[in-house]
Amino acid sequence: MNGFRRREVARRAFAYEINRSTYRFPREDEKSPAYVLTPLGVRVNRVFIVGALLDKEEIKPDSGIWRIRVSDPTSAIYGYVSRFQPDALESLMEIDVPELVAIVGKVRTFEVGARIFVSLRPEYVSPVESGVRDYWVYETAKHTIERIKAMERKEDEDVKLAWQIYNPNLDEYRAIVKQALLTLKGTIAEGEEEEEEIQGFEEEFEFEEEEWDLSDILKE
Amino acid sequence: MERVEELADQILSQFAGLGYEINRDEVIKRLKLLLYEFKVPESEAVRTVRNWIIKEYGIPREKVVEAPLVKIKDITKPGQWVSLKAKVVQIWDSTSPSVSQVGLIGDETGIIKFVIWAKSGKGEVEEGKCYLFKNVVTDSFQGRMQINVGRTSEIVEIDEDIQLPPREIEVIGALVAIQQNSGLIQRCEQCHRVMTKGICPIHGKVKGYDDLRVKGVLDDGENVYEIILNEGNIKDLTGIDLEKAKQIASERLDRNAVLSELKRILLGRYFKVAGVRGGRYLLVRRVEKILGVKADEVDKLLEVLA
Ligand SMILES: [Zn+2]
Repeated sequence: MNGFRRREVARRAFAYEINRSTYRFPREDEKSPAYVLTPLGVRVNRVFIVGALLDKEEIKPDSGIWRIRVSDPTSAIYGYVSRFQPDALESLMEIDVPELVAIVGKVRTFEVGARIFVSLRPEYVSPVESGVRDYWVYETAKHTIERIKAMERKEDEDVKLAWQIYNPNLDEYRAIVKQALLTLKGTIAEGEEEEEEIQGFEEEFEFEEEEWDLSDILKE
Repeated sequence: MERVEELADQILSQFAGLGYEINRDEVIKRLKLLLYEFKVPESEAVRTVRNWIIKEYGIPREKVVEAPLVKIKDITKPGQWVSLKAKVVQIWDSTSPSVSQVGLIGDETGIIKFVIWAKSGKGEVEEGKCYLFKNVVTDSFQGRMQINVGRTSEIVEIDEDIQLPPREIEVIGALVAIQQNSGLIQRCEQCHRVMTKGICPIHGKVKGYDDLRVKGVLDDGENVYEIILNEGNIKDLTGIDLEKAKQIASERLDRNAVLSELKRILLGRYFKVAGVRGGRYLLVRRVEKILGVKADEVDKLLEVLA
């Protein structure tokens, strides 16, 4: 944060919304931050997520790249941690799954054939108490509701773009938020249909990434 | 803009504030002569030109002993000569050898960044003390106003307790980053700056003393705030005080173990911080950990969705 660029805010969004954030803004230059647009019209570079770390698995023996799967009450999202995120890797190695974790990370998209996958690139992974998760669900619900309202107003440029690209069903997002909030009152979340597994694709995709290129590492 | 023109405009703005319109070309001509031909130091050149103006325009001397005294909220334009009374709120780690001190000062109307340039040769200020900053120049850096203390400025400690702006903000956010120069740190005995590997950026290899602090980023999903937690804050939040920190460091034979421990306890947690905003900093007055969420708050959101 000592650079000239202001530190990117970590947005609050449920995995359900992040997983659908497939539109990537064109980068101004190589050094400018990469943003995706969520279906509810917010530009995201960094997110803060609290959820259950369900799996951690090295994608290939000795590759040093770990795929993680973390779930909030709405859905699960994949993330990749490598030695280029030493803080995240170090704490990940000490965690036994499942465990409640807080993750700060960048949102990344990659293409496999015609499909665009969204994943997280964590900067740190930190085991936390359930109170942190509760507050995160509450806070993220609040932010998501604000975004739904902004979508209804259709004023902001990014909101207009989100309508154009995703044409989201706002009721679907209201239902997701409600489901998440109800888990705080002891209801079990139903979740969505299991997404297609990403597993096995890593060797094919290339990250458009300023920090590291997974395809290079895989060849080592 | 050339330095000479900058100086000229600063001089002009000072007299403009007094209601005098001075010939700019003449001022520039005189400054150039003094600086380039006679090689007089900048501060002497400025003083000489000001004295010439005072005589030439018949300005009563008592009117111009110093730049007008202003309040921080009135500082909105760069390149103005001003004086202000303010309290030193926070001193930051200066990373540049050309900067003697940098940090925040405040009065009852606001908070502003100050820079004391090394070449100004001005004495150092201390956190919590109040000063009259005389003849400083306003400047804008990355869209924010600041004041520069240069060679023609003066800093005089005053026996007044200046109140900071009462308007406090409260932020609930997650601590999303802790900077490396946090944890069990060492400060220079002479200037209290944070030392790196036993070296003070100003005094070099000198004796230091231990201190505990966290420099981190609080993020509420809309904004980021840089915060500094002192030993008292850290003790309240984690139970670790300076003694405990030293004990951790000696048990694990590693001062960094304290930072790791603080990261483990604090990162990714929510905190409610009350304080005053100054630049990109939120000056912590009170901090508490958020332990969860109340059922009625959840109900309120559910009602919105219903
Ligand atoms: Zn020193």
